[in-house]
Amino acid sequence: MVDLHKGAFRGFWQSLTSRKYLRSLGLFFALIGPGIITSNVDNDAGGITTYSLAGSEHGLTLLWTLIPITVALIIIQEMCARMGVVSGKGLSDLIRERFGARITFYLMIVLFLTNLGNTISEFAGVAASLEIFGVSKYISVPVSAVIVWWLVVKGNYKSVEKVFLFACVFYLSYIISGFMGKPEWGVIGASFLKPTIHLETGWLTMAVGVIGTTIAPWMQFYLQSSVVDKGLKAEDYQYTRMDVILGSVTVNVVAFFIIMLCAVTLFANGVHIKDAKDAALALAPFAGEYCTWLFAIGLLNASLFAASILPISTAYTICEAFGWESSLNCKFLEAPQFYGLYSLMVFLGAGIILLPDMPLITIMFYSQVINGAILPIILIFMLLLINDKRIMGEYVNGPVMNVICWLTVAVLTLLSFTMLAFALFT
Amino acid sequence: MAMNPEPQVFVFLSELLGRKIVDSEGRPVGKILDVTGNLAEMYPPVTEVLVHLAEGGRNVLIPWKRLAETRGAWVADPLKPAEFREPVPRSGELFLKETLLDKQVVDTDGAKIRRVNDLQFLHAHRILHLVHVDVGFHGLLRRVGLERPIGFVFRTLFDYVMSDQLIAWKFVQPVSSPDLLRLNVAQNRLAQLHPADLADIIEELDIHQRSAVFQSLDVETAAETLEETDPKIQVRLIEDLDTANASDIIEEMSLSEAADLIGDLPKERAEGILKEMEKDVAEDVKELLTHPEEKAGGLMTTSFLSFAPERTAEEAMETIRREAEDMDLIYYLYIVDEKEHLLGVLSLRELLVAPPQAHLSELMDTRIVSVKIEEKKDRIADDFAKYGIMAMPVVDDENRLEGVILFKNLLEVVAPKLGR
Repeated sequence: MVDLHKGAFRGFWQSLTSRKYLRSLGLFFALIGPGIITSNVDNDAGGITTYSLAGSEHGLTLLWTLIPITVALIIIQEMCARMGVVSGKGLSDLIRERFGARITFYLMIVLFLTNLGNTISEFAGVAASLEIFGVSKYISVPVSAVIVWWLVVKGNYKSVEKVFLFACVFYLSYIISGFMGKPEWGVIGASFLKPTIHLETGWLTMAVGVIGTTIAPWMQFYLQSSVVDKGLKAEDYQYTRMDVILGSVTVNVVAFFIIMLCAVTLFANGVHIKDAKDAALALAPFAGEYCTWLFAIGLLNASLFAASILPISTAYTICEAFGWESSLNCKFLEAPQFYGLYSLMVFLGAGIILLPDMPLITIMFYSQVINGAILPIILIFMLLLINDKRIMGEYVNGPVMNVICWLTVAVLTLLSFTMLAFALFT
Repeated sequence: MAMNPEPQVFVFLSELLGRKIVDSEGRPVGKILDVTGNLAEMYPPVTEVLVHLAEGGRNVLIPWKRLAETRGAWVADPLKPAEFREPVPRSGELFLKETLLDKQVVDTDGAKIRRVNDLQFLHAHRILHLVHVDVGFHGLLRRVGLERPIGFVFRTLFDYVMSDQLIAWKFVQPVSSPDLLRLNVAQNRLAQLHPADLADIIEELDIHQRSAVFQSLDVETAAETLEETDPKIQVRLIEDLDTANASDIIEEMSLSEAADLIGDLPKERAEGILKEMEKDVAEDVKELLTHPEEKAGGLMTTSFLSFAPERTAEEAMETIRREAEDMDLIYYLYIVDEKEHLLGVLSLRELLVAPPQAHLSELMDTRIVSVKIEEKKDRIADDFAKYGIMAMPVVDDENRLEGVILFKNLLEVVAPKLGR
């Protein structure tokens, strides 16, 4: 009798496990990560600030841009993931081997500067979010810098990655706070159905800003290295693609809720804000105290998350390009450039926030500008690389994909130059 | 030393690339794009030069010996367009810039992967020999064109003169394509490396280079290297091989490592490899696979020596001489009765100094330290630390000897937790 049960159970279990979809589902969960993590790091302090401003200054009018942004993000990230899986090399490695030392050298300097700028804004985000809870930045920033540094250098990177994957759940706080703003869904739906372009400087700059913060240069390097690190095979590429698509959609869902929330509360009541902290505080009268807290927790999580990943990703990228030892398994003296760059970014990033009278908004702004200027260069390199048969073999872009990619790159380049022009002449 | 009629000069590849070539009357011929050479040679001489012709814009190969440096210019003399060849290197030869510059190579002396910033040639008797690979920051700056300004800053500010970081060509193994590894099979420089270093290098390479490097190793080195490699990468390396080669390599591995690896492989692949393997080895591996990896049974090997108590020291020595090569452990002899109950243990040292006719039962130590087959690894690690032995016998509930855990295998489990 007992044996019979056992047999029946085993039969049932086998039929379950032998089913293709279960295997696929298991594989999917084993292989996801890089895309989702990258996308969520993308919703960093700078991103949240930009989305808050977009909603509070321009209401629902910018909401529809999230759809083309999602498409562009998927197209670009898909190429990176594909290059990572097929070549087994990081993006800076490929750029160095294909385009030589000189171009790589200058590219890495610019990348270092823009990523340093981004790191500064992450620590600014940490400071801002904890100030909402009454913690002085002179405590929060050094403590978080040490935690970030310690976690990555002394901890196990794999477990750090798992912590990050879990941290993605915190982005739900933005979705919940979005509902707390009691939006009228009919109006919001209409804004998608009737997209409008406002030909005025403020609106256009903001549109470019939203694009620029969502599609950043460092992401391509980070995504490709994580895909390589995962050691994914070309056969399992479909799961990586799902991961990338899921990540790109998530990032924009979060962006949607932030813009929407700020639009229906702050914009509707004519409240003007300067940054994400203002947004969080200004939300209280319209959506309640809890909404402020949720918004602040989201900002803290986003900033910490990105502050941990940006410096390490930059150090990896640069060391990979120049052939310096770069592994967290090495001791400090075995990989001095790697740890040096990493520590420099963390402590410079945190240190600059603590200097009195630092023009933070200006620094953040210029780091966004460099971001925008360097993005087209990297995208063009990517397109050249992905069409190189020696690197990609049969996985080069097809003709249709190429047209779509070049179009996307052309539009993004145009927008980046527009933003540059705005930044420099206004 | 005798007088050297011709000066010997070092030339960097970056100084050659892009240089203009003129004919004997100073008219431009073209500019240098690349040079070719046979990398399998000890100090590969440059044989041909890839030139982008000023006239017509074609790329052609010109024999190196036609070029001479006079008054700071490279002169093609005499210029014989009939000698121009299509830009395809001769068999066995490669474009040096394309295959080496900016690519990764293995420095077999320092056991590291380096990126090539420049190549250094010795210019002697009108022949260029590749002698060094430049991997340093100074070489990088030379390529970027910032050698002088940054060198000046370093000298004036820090009183520091930057020097080239060169690796002799004989210690360089290119890995950028499988052909390069096959090319050098006869003198594969990777063979100079310790398997543990090779494993580190393999882990750092990309997926294609990994397989290429791994497949260029002989079976024994491959097995030793595989033992030292990260389990996830082990699986990938084996999956890239055909079943016959894979089983050859796995057979050479120690039994417990082989079992762990096969346990990690996809089911069909594992079965295929087990079928190809020698029957008795395959049986042992299957036996080990039945134990969970985290417990004593999963850590142990069954490849060790056990003896009956009535055997003499001399007989035991003979057995060891005969079997030692295939055993994972020979430093301890385990004494068991006919039902495999563990009676005592004897170290190789004690055996060596024992009178040849003494019975093992008289020599053995009966104060046995052993662990149960279900014991967890943390407890086993504690026991190793406490008793300071190299291997620990594993017994079942009735004290029957099942296997032996090597300290080395446990170390791989425990070491990642140490010193963090």
